[in-house]
Amino acid sequence: MPAPFLELLDITKTYPGVTALSGVSFAIGAGEVVGLIGENGAGKSTLMKILGGVVEPTRGTIRVDGNERPAFTVTESMQAGIAFVHQELNLFENLDVAANIFIGREPRSGGFLNLVDQAETRRRVAPLLQRLGVDFGPDTPVAELAIAERQMVEIAKALSLNARLIIMDEPTSSLTLSETDRLLSVIAELKAQGVAIVYISHRLNEVKQCADRVVCLRDGKLVGTLAKDEIEHPAMIRLMIGRDLKSVYIPPKHAPKESGLTLEGLRTTAFPDFAVDLTLRRGEILGLAGLIGSGRTSLARAIFGIDPPLAGTVALDGQPITVANPQDAIARGIYLAPEDRKRSGLILEFPIRENISLADLKEYAPSWLIRRDKELATAERQKVRLGIRTPSVETPAISLSGGNQQKVVLAKWLSMRPQVIIFDEPTRGIDVGAKAEIYQLMRELAEAGVAILMISSDMEEVIGVSDRVAVMHEGSIAGFLERSQLSEHAIMELAIGHRPAA
Amino acid sequence: MHKKDLGLLVLVLVIGAITTALNPVFLSPVNLVNMANLIGLFGIFSIGQGLVIITGGIELSVGSMFALIGVIFVDLLVNFALPWPIVVLVAIGLGLVFGAVHGFLVTRLHLQPFVVTLCGLLIYRGIARWYMADATIGFGYGDFDTLFWLASGRSFGIPHTFIAFVIVAIVMYVVLHKSVFGRHLLAVGKNEEAARFSGINTRVVIASAYMINGALAGLTALFLAFYTSSVSPSAHGSFYELYAIAAAVLGGCSLRGGEGSIPGIVLGTILLQILQNLVNLLGIPTSLNFAVMGTVILAGVLADQALQRRRAIKVAEQQRAKVVAAA
Amino acid sequence: MKRRGIVALCAAALMLSIGAGAASAQEKKTIALVTNASADFWTIARRGTEKAQEELPNYNVEFYVVAESTAAEQRRILDDLLTKGVAGVSISSIDPANSTEILNRVADQAVLFTTDSDAPESKRIAYIGTDNRQAGVQAGELIKKALPDGGKIMMFVGTMGAANAIERVDGIKQALEGSNVEIIDIRTDEVDFARAKRNVEDTLTKYPDISGLVGLYSYNTPQIVEAVRAAGKIGQVKVIGFDEDPVTLRGIADGIVDATVVQQPYEFGYQSMIGLAKVIEGDKSFIPEDGLIIVPTKVIDSSNVEEFQSQMRELLAN
Repeated sequence: MPAPFLELLDITKTYPGVTALSGVSFAIGAGEVVGLIGENGAGKSTLMKILGGVVEPTRGTIRVDGNERPAFTVTESMQAGIAFVHQELNLFENLDVAANIFIGREPRSGGFLNLVDQAETRRRVAPLLQRLGVDFGPDTPVAELAIAERQMVEIAKALSLNARLIIMDEPTSSLTLSETDRLLSVIAELKAQGVAIVYISHRLNEVKQCADRVVCLRDGKLVGTLAKDEIEHPAMIRLMIGRDLKSVYIPPKHAPKESGLTLEGLRTTAFPDFAVDLTLRRGEILGLAGLIGSGRTSLARAIFGIDPPLAGTVALDGQPITVANPQDAIARGIYLAPEDRKRSGLILEFPIRENISLADLKEYAPSWLIRRDKELATAERQKVRLGIRTPSVETPAISLSGGNQQKVVLAKWLSMRPQVIIFDEPTRGIDVGAKAEIYQLMRELAEAGVAILMISSDMEEVIGVSDRVAVMHEGSIAGFLERSQLSEHAIMELAIGHRPAA
Repeated sequence: MHKKDLGLLVLVLVIGAITTALNPVFLSPVNLVNMANLIGLFGIFSIGQGLVIITGGIELSVGSMFALIGVIFVDLLVNFALPWPIVVLVAIGLGLVFGAVHGFLVTRLHLQPFVVTLCGLLIYRGIARWYMADATIGFGYGDFDTLFWLASGRSFGIPHTFIAFVIVAIVMYVVLHKSVFGRHLLAVGKNEEAARFSGINTRVVIASAYMINGALAGLTALFLAFYTSSVSPSAHGSFYELYAIAAAVLGGCSLRGGEGSIPGIVLGTILLQILQNLVNLLGIPTSLNFAVMGTVILAGVLADQALQRRRAIKVAEQQRAKVVAAA
Repeated sequence: MKRRGIVALCAAALMLSIGAGAASAQEKKTIALVTNASADFWTIARRGTEKAQEELPNYNVEFYVVAESTAAEQRRILDDLLTKGVAGVSISSIDPANSTEILNRVADQAVLFTTDSDAPESKRIAYIGTDNRQAGVQAGELIKKALPDGGKIMMFVGTMGAANAIERVDGIKQALEGSNVEIIDIRTDEVDFARAKRNVEDTLTKYPDISGLVGLYSYNTPQIVEAVRAAGKIGQVKVIGFDEDPVTLRGIADGIVDATVVQQPYEFGYQSMIGLAKVIEGDKSFIPEDGLIIVPTKVIDSSNVEEFQSQMRELLAN
């Protein structure tokens, strides 16, 4: 039997004071799909950096096709045929598909003029796109592509480099269900062609669907391997956190109230031709599902006043209100935990304390000057309440993990007087443990009489957390589902515009 | 005081010490008073510039504002013989209006600050020259004793420009580092979108920075007109915005926005003025003036960068150690 | 002094917005004077050109003040004038040594005079102005008179590139040769008034025993006056200046300035324009062999300052 394509033996990486990886060994053969799981901070990204040649292991051996590679550099990694498809895509929006795929190694023509050979580029890109079965061409500007399509461009780029191993890091975090299915079938296709895949994901369903084998990292160590027939949710979760995760759904103690937020005939700037009617009751968690681009985030932005609605009425507890900007929304207790935490939710360089007080500074400045002691007291209280894991509330938000960053965003709103909170993709990129804490918190808020709208593309989350689900399709609400009616199938039917069978 | 500012303070002291060693006259009362006067003149508008830079913007038209406000100010005072308190208010008000216009163009029409204020630079300079038909205007034979004393006199031996600067610096220190507006300014400069999502009226915050800068420029225009005793519309204040930008950058303001402190800007101004002074005191050819200034700014910024990187590494290590200990 | 009022400012803004502007008469020939800086000095020269305009109804007399005192700015103005088809130009060249090419281009197309600052290498037909070396000698004599026992002096100027600055310095050095007066240095300020003043302040600080200050450009002496007054050194430091800034004249009246050597810019402007018109019409007889039409300089001191001041006020009043 030939040596496997890639072997890692006893890889250890230590930073001053920290061991990121210790004694990790595993191998991957051609055409094999390995699911790599582990909570954030388990050492997955360090391992990937070592495979990319970006970080040198402190100890250990890397073998490619059975040959030892003592100094595994970026160039060597590329030559070995290792390619990455990152969570955050590295594409140039101002260029077209073909240019992106051949960026930095464009076929040349015109002699000393060094012109880009457009025809040649296109000729070489077209078959790659065909292989992936996408419906855009080499000339399509990347700016016009959806996130899932851009991911396909990244994969095409990897293929153009004759990749033998593609490492996918949370590839589906921004994808809808159908797009995820499509990606999984592309993975099956690549596997059939002999390309190896390392699939890193928090979404255990997908891992289960595509992986031939699952390896799990915890605290820098490889804690277990699951063979194809052993890949089950409970087994994977047990490996990741070392214990069984309780069921995520927490049933409400009380029935929701009748009052809450009512939207009538609301038209957003993204879909001016469609109106949204929606009632969100205090005490419930209403899931808002739908495909990417179905208008969920536009709706959230309209309610919060970022892009004020073009028409329609918004009423809170029966009182009509006007929300022309976020200040108005915040004054009414309507808060938004945005989709992109790093860009819209936090000022990353500010300490936790200043992030928490930011939206409510006037409360901390009774006499025009900010009272730091009040800020500190609030920050410490929220740190304890939400379990923000940080040495100090003076730590800049940038150095926190995704889960803790999200907790800081929530702490900002919880330190005020929430009536309605909109969570846009509340647990994207957050590890399993922190996810459960955030679900628990949402439930507590609902019990305290807050109306909660949870936008999510994670089907497990929508079904596992919501009391009721509204599904959006092309700018309007396609239908509501009660908890008893919830299923992936029912949600998908509405999301793609099919009326459910009566 | 921030660590960054402390480094700058050390640089100021070192250069001061070297200059004193080479020529003890540097620390003579006369020289200190002269320097205090110039620090006051250049410091007031550098603080305004710093605020604009903190929003991520830039204000290039300050020098031209000095010329335009300067000629109008002298003209109203000398030839229209208006009472001086009114003229002073007009001058500061004009600066405020210019700042408001810039703020409006930047926040409402979404023009780039560089473009807006570059146009301001050209327009104000042009109007000033046209208004005076390029002639130099002076205070002539008028009697402005009170105002003259206020603008260029001394109390307890301290030049009034310097006193004004100290007052402005203290007020702006409180505004930037202690007030809600200051926090909002830093937040908007660092991440405008997140600031907006936190309910901050980002437009008002940014426009306010330009208006404060305009008002401080108007105030400086008065002091400067009295310092030179005459205003030549084509040359008056030319390139002075660059002194302000240099002081702000030396003082730790990032042109990307969100960073900067008042003590830093104050120290930056002091350092720049010391450099100009030492060129004269040490008998360095005056033509080398700008080269000396440029070299020291570059060295300062490089040193800061190096220190910052070292500090970042140290902080990261400490934090990692803490996280590990906590886990 | 010609000054446009605030009302005019608004009116002009209105006019600009409508896009109206008086079209100049095309058939009149244009003759122009280009300055090397903006100062009252040139305002007086402008009065001379205005007087000439009255006498030359068939000409269009124009007056250009440079925005920055740079050779590049002058070149831009000259290029514009050539494009407009100017018939005669009188210029105070900022950098004569390196402007020969552009000056000769002007000379090829139009009548070229130099005034105030000469460009002897160029094909200019005449120079109307001061003999700056002679003026320098005159100033040097005044310094010697003010400092009979000798002493240390400092000189102040915008830039040392211009011929008039170089020649004035040469003249002063020539006159001071063999005397006990020592020139410490020359401080330049790039025509930034604030820097000019700071140069004086720093000089007074660095050399507490300095005995004389010389302002070579018209704005330098006023800055010396202000700085000496602020330092409380009136009388301890002798001040010799050039040109007739009102502050300089007041300084003479107040006893801060000993004397100033004044040129006659009014004559520069007037004679330039009249002379250009004459040459354009074919009369070159008034130009001497060497092309140098020297307008003599005058010394203003406490004895004649009052008379001169009232003369100036008349010229500068609109």
